[in-house]
Amino acid sequence: MKTSKSKERSKKAEEKQKNILEMLKSHGAKVYDDLDNGRFPKFSIPSRSVSNIVYDKQLRQYILGSNSALRSAKNSAQLRSFTQLMWLAFFANRLTQEKKSSTLRDVYYSSQAFAVEFEDQSESDNIIVDLEAVTSKPREDFHIYPEERSSIFGDLNIEYTIPGYEGKTMNLSNHPDGYSIGPSLTTAELVDTSAEIVIAIEKGGLFTRFVEEQIDKKFKSIIINTGGQAPRSTRTLLKRLHDEMRLPVIVLTDGDVYGEHIAMVIKSGSANAAHLRELTVPDAKWVGVWATDIEKYKLPTIPMTESDIKRCYDLQKDPRYESGIWKKELDVFLRLKRKAELEAFSKYGLTNITDKYLPQKLELAKSL
Amino acid sequence: MSSIKEQFNQISPSEFFYSNRDLAGFSNPTRSLYTAVREFVENALDACDQKGILPDVHLIIKAVDPEKPDPKPYILTVKDNGPGIDADHVPLAFGTVLYGSKFGLKQARGMFGLGATMAILYGQITTNKPVTVKSSVDGKIQDQFEVLLDIQKNKPVIVKHTTKEVSKKGLSISICLEGDYSKAGNKIRDYVYETSLITPYASITFDDPKGEKFSHPRFVKDIPPPPTIIRPHPHGIDVERIRRMIVESQFEIPNIDDAMIEKVRKDLGLSKKSLSFTAIMEKAKKKWKNLPRQVRVVISLMSFLKMDFEKLNKIKIEDIDVPNKKLFYWDFGDSQSKSVEMDPESLYYKQLTNTVQGEPLTTFLTKRFQRIGPNTAVKFAEFAGFKPEKRIGTLTNQELVNLSDSLQKFDDFMAPDSSCLAPLGEEPLEKGIKKFFNPDFTAVVQRPASAYSGFPFIIEMGIAYGGEIKSGGPHVYRYANRIPLLYDEGSDVVLKVVNETDWGRYKIKGEPPFIIVSHICSTRIPYKTAGKENVADRPEIERELRLALQFLSRKLASYMSKRGQAEMAKKRSNLYAKYIPMIAEFCTELAGKKKEPNYKKILDEETAIESKKPEEEENQIENQ
Repeated sequence: MKTSKSKERSKKAEEKQKNILEMLKSHGAKVYDDLDNGRFPKFSIPSRSVSNIVYDKQLRQYILGSNSALRSAKNSAQLRSFTQLMWLAFFANRLTQEKKSSTLRDVYYSSQAFAVEFEDQSESDNIIVDLEAVTSKPREDFHIYPEERSSIFGDLNIEYTIPGYEGKTMNLSNHPDGYSIGPSLTTAELVDTSAEIVIAIEKGGLFTRFVEEQIDKKFKSIIINTGGQAPRSTRTLLKRLHDEMRLPVIVLTDGDVYGEHIAMVIKSGSANAAHLRELTVPDAKWVGVWATDIEKYKLPTIPMTESDIKRCYDLQKDPRYESGIWKKELDVFLRLKRKAELEAFSKYGLTNITDKYLPQKLELAKSL
Repeated sequence: MSSIKEQFNQISPSEFFYSNRDLAGFSNPTRSLYTAVREFVENALDACDQKGILPDVHLIIKAVDPEKPDPKPYILTVKDNGPGIDADHVPLAFGTVLYGSKFGLKQARGMFGLGATMAILYGQITTNKPVTVKSSVDGKIQDQFEVLLDIQKNKPVIVKHTTKEVSKKGLSISICLEGDYSKAGNKIRDYVYETSLITPYASITFDDPKGEKFSHPRFVKDIPPPPTIIRPHPHGIDVERIRRMIVESQFEIPNIDDAMIEKVRKDLGLSKKSLSFTAIMEKAKKKWKNLPRQVRVVISLMSFLKMDFEKLNKIKIEDIDVPNKKLFYWDFGDSQSKSVEMDPESLYYKQLTNTVQGEPLTTFLTKRFQRIGPNTAVKFAEFAGFKPEKRIGTLTNQELVNLSDSLQKFDDFMAPDSSCLAPLGEEPLEKGIKKFFNPDFTAVVQRPASAYSGFPFIIEMGIAYGGEIKSGGPHVYRYANRIPLLYDEGSDVVLKVVNETDWGRYKIKGEPPFIIVSHICSTRIPYKTAGKENVADRPEIERELRLALQFLSRKLASYMSKRGQAEMAKKRSNLYAKYIPMIAEFCTELAGKKKEPNYKKILDEETAIESKKPEEEENQIENQ
């Protein structure tokens, strides 16, 4: 029974990879044909300019509009970036075929072996986003990952699909420091879990406390440390936990405008990744720390900086902050002009947050 | 003896310049050496130009004692192959201030030959040595003079005069003067170099005191047409000048003596015959056109007196009363004054009034000025409020002033005749610029003649870019009447015009390798100072300079944009050559092919149509 399921899973993973390779091949073939027939190759890239990023109410995330730009090898101003993109596709093709992964920084350095010049890593990062936009696939599908890692802990069985580990399983509550969320974890099959909820928490310090306090057992939860703004791999995993394991997701952040937005990005994506659609958990819930909690729990606060306040005004223009709890809390932040960190609860004892605050919020989440 | 009595002394021009020598550019040993070089070289070139001789000018500067530190005495020698100066004139020409041959109205480098004498004077007062002049006008005999200048008397003192046989015409002048070559050397070398650019038909060599030889052989074989001497333009005139012209145009009634009667007889071809009055008149009528003015006047008088030559001998004309049409004369025979009526319709009456009252205004204008025809003269008379037939001899002082003012103000005169100007010409100028700077781009223009205050001028300008020109431009080379202007450029009108130009508009940016050659030709260059180094900003000159510069700048701009396009095309084709093979390599593996696509077609095609613009530029396709 288990073996057939496992086979099915690896078949699924293989299929996904096959699709990616097919797609890259078809792009390559088109360029090949153009060159062979004496034409300058070109393709269109969805425009990622601000004017082309719109909020889709149905998808509940930012998406790219219908504008697209033509990138042509004939245009000498675009020739360089055209070549860079072709190289990246070529490189992604190798990575996918050889089942190797690469960080963003690896990509930047690898280019030099092919005499493809990138001024700096931000230029190569940008081309990677171009490839995502052209193919509508996240870079992780091409085995390209960012350096930043977040971590996960809880009763979840997974089965690796990456080369050398195919079929190997792992329970993610075996190691108290948690497991770092990298390519092998993101691509692993999610087998089963006893957990009933996913708690995403902004900070490593609190993640450690939650593990120590056995929140995973007490509240039947999987704990994820987002390490600030959640990386894409983490958001992918959150989405899979929600979609495949049917687990609700709650988000716990610092009590400030950035925290509020970390939750929002998990829920409905960022403008930066408007060209991608598989990264959001529209049902995710932000449970705290709210601005109203600051007063309610009499938390010690620090004053907002000017950039905090500016960020508040910026977010007021975002359609997602036009209603509900998002608008309400933002308004209170602006009124208070003060903020509180998750650690603020330590004023009332180190376990105050896990003993008092968390249970109340979990209860509240059910009604949100 | 009263101590209050003031003493008035007349000073000679020599003394005046001696005490004001910095006016003429002899303020210190550096400047003086440079100015002396200029004056002698320019005189040599002017002398050759006037006779249409291709100039060979040889400049030598030698230190009397090379070991001494500067400033020290130098011997400056300038030799030319010009017409030379008659032995009779040499002492006066080089030993007197304000003696010269350049007083006519035409373009020349120097105005009065003053500068050379100033150099000689300066040499004499700093070293007490005479000037040595060697001149041969026939190419056979050379007169050699050593002359000192008597400053108080403004007179030459001949120290030595010898002659010898030679084989070449020309003048050589040599002075000893205190100078500072270590400081003046740069300017002198620049001067010689820049002079040879604007005088491409001259060969100029320079032996400097350090033993270096600078040779600038001619590279143009044709000498530009020499300027002609012309009548003045009405705009360039003042009251005093008109008064003098009127005096010149009037004639006195000739004294009818035996000699005059003899001349009339001869001109009528009647030397021996004795004809009656009627026969004389008929003869005169036939020959009228060929008769000189004086003879015509005598005949006219005879016509009213109705006398033959014998009777005429016995009277004396007393007065010609034009308004009352009466002719008064003294009859020696009767010893009394008599008068006859004059018929105003008669041709002879007109002749007499012309003589007495001068020409009618319109005739005066058309005959004595350039650019005034009969129609313009009549229009002008109306403008100035004169009757066209107004006799210029009858103008009052007030009317003279009015005439002078009106001549200045009347706008319908044609621009001054520029035949008195000798611009270099576009072709030699371009040739010179190309030879001197070896640029990538050259453009020259000669503007049509224009005038300021009645003095005609022509602007010639050249512009060059790239090649061997050093960056940091525009470097401006200023010339006036074929003289390079090297000092005081800051306050010059050419610099002003150049500096006010927005070069960015002409696609010229940064520190461009870029030169401008500007040549102003005029019968009178409006120098700001006597040192002849910078030109004042007369609006007319400024305007012409601006137009010339704009014209050339536009040409340069179109060259620059072509150059830019060519560079772009080259850059683009380099980009293709670099990147297309890479794209081919990557897509071959991507597409899972073995053989690379044949992309050569694209590259070949692109090189062939380099200049064509790419069809697709950064275009956004809406709503795809």
